[in-house]
Amino acid sequence: MKTFKLVISTPDGDLFSGEAVKVSLRGTEGELAVLANHIPFITSVKPCTCRVEMENGEEKRVGVEGGLLSVGTDVVTLMSGSAKWE
Amino acid sequence: MGVDIKSLKNRIKSVDSTLHLTKAMGLVASAKIRGATRAMMKSREYASALENTVSMLSSAKSCEKSQYMKSGKKGNICLVVVAGDRGLAGGYNSNIFKLAEAENAVKIITIGKRACDRYNGKTLRVEDFTYSDASGMAKEICKAFKDGEYEKVGIASTQYISMMTQTPRIDWVLPLEKTERKSKADIVYEPDEITILEAVMEEYIAGKLVAAAKEGFTCEVVARRFAMDSAGKNAGEMIDALSLEYNRARQGAITQEITEIVAGSGI
Repeated sequence: MKTFKLVISTPDGDLFSGEAVKVSLRGTEGELAVLANHIPFITSVKPCTCRVEMENGEEKRVGVEGGLLSVGTDVVTLMSGSAKWE
Repeated sequence: MGVDIKSLKNRIKSVDSTLHLTKAMGLVASAKIRGATRAMMKSREYASALENTVSMLSSAKSCEKSQYMKSGKKGNICLVVVAGDRGLAGGYNSNIFKLAEAENAVKIITIGKRACDRYNGKTLRVEDFTYSDASGMAKEICKAFKDGEYEKVGIASTQYISMMTQTPRIDWVLPLEKTERKSKADIVYEPDEITILEAVMEEYIAGKLVAAAKEGFTCEVVARRFAMDSAGKNAGEMIDALSLEYNRARQGAITQEITEIVAGSGI
């Protein structure tokens, strides 16, 4: 699977910064998932459990209390005031 | 001899204990500098990432209608003042207060014990200021601003430029300024710019507050370190001068005693 760079940014530093295969979470308009080569895209994120699929197939869960998801051409950034591994 | 040896000795002792105090405070401050700087860098990154997005959003045409772009009641200024928790940091606190008071704000929100004491706010230490504190504040600010209560909202804090330079400044966060920045045309906004902007505003303000608090705390410890350094130096010089005086007085007293004994023996 193709991977992309994912950064989960919080005021206490980056919770995660590395390669991921898929990230899925709840946006304002409903559930959404981002894969590699997604078009540039910005949406706000609702409080939810965000699931990140790693390169090795492992799925990690992050509790997010709202925020902003910005998909760029080279990097996907999830900015959240408070995000924690679950 | 006119100089009282005992009072000189007492003065030396008291200056010496001050020297100990300044040394200890300086050490504590320098131990905190590293951690504070790291926390500042991290929160700064987060705030600037958000700021980029917000300025991209606010340059969009549809966002002109947003309440966040319009000033409310003229002359009503809301100011968040970020000061230190403790004194003995040189001019750190007073510089911020001077800057803040020049604005004649109608509403002052305080972060840091010194600021809270001065403006009768609820005590909130800057050292352990968290995102949830900031979030509550941001909610309040956004609501009031949307209701048109303030002309503008600013954060008065100290900007950390380097170990040697820190400058107090006011960062006006609201209303948003329309930037003439070209947004990348091919970005998809879901659902649209203005909805995202409104949704992300509280987060943006909270991020800014956290960044300002962390930066302020770094400036405070750095300022304290330098203040304690120079206070320590001054105390050292003072002890040197006093010891010299003390030794002279002691010697003078001995010489006088000898003269008296010699004169008394009648040789």
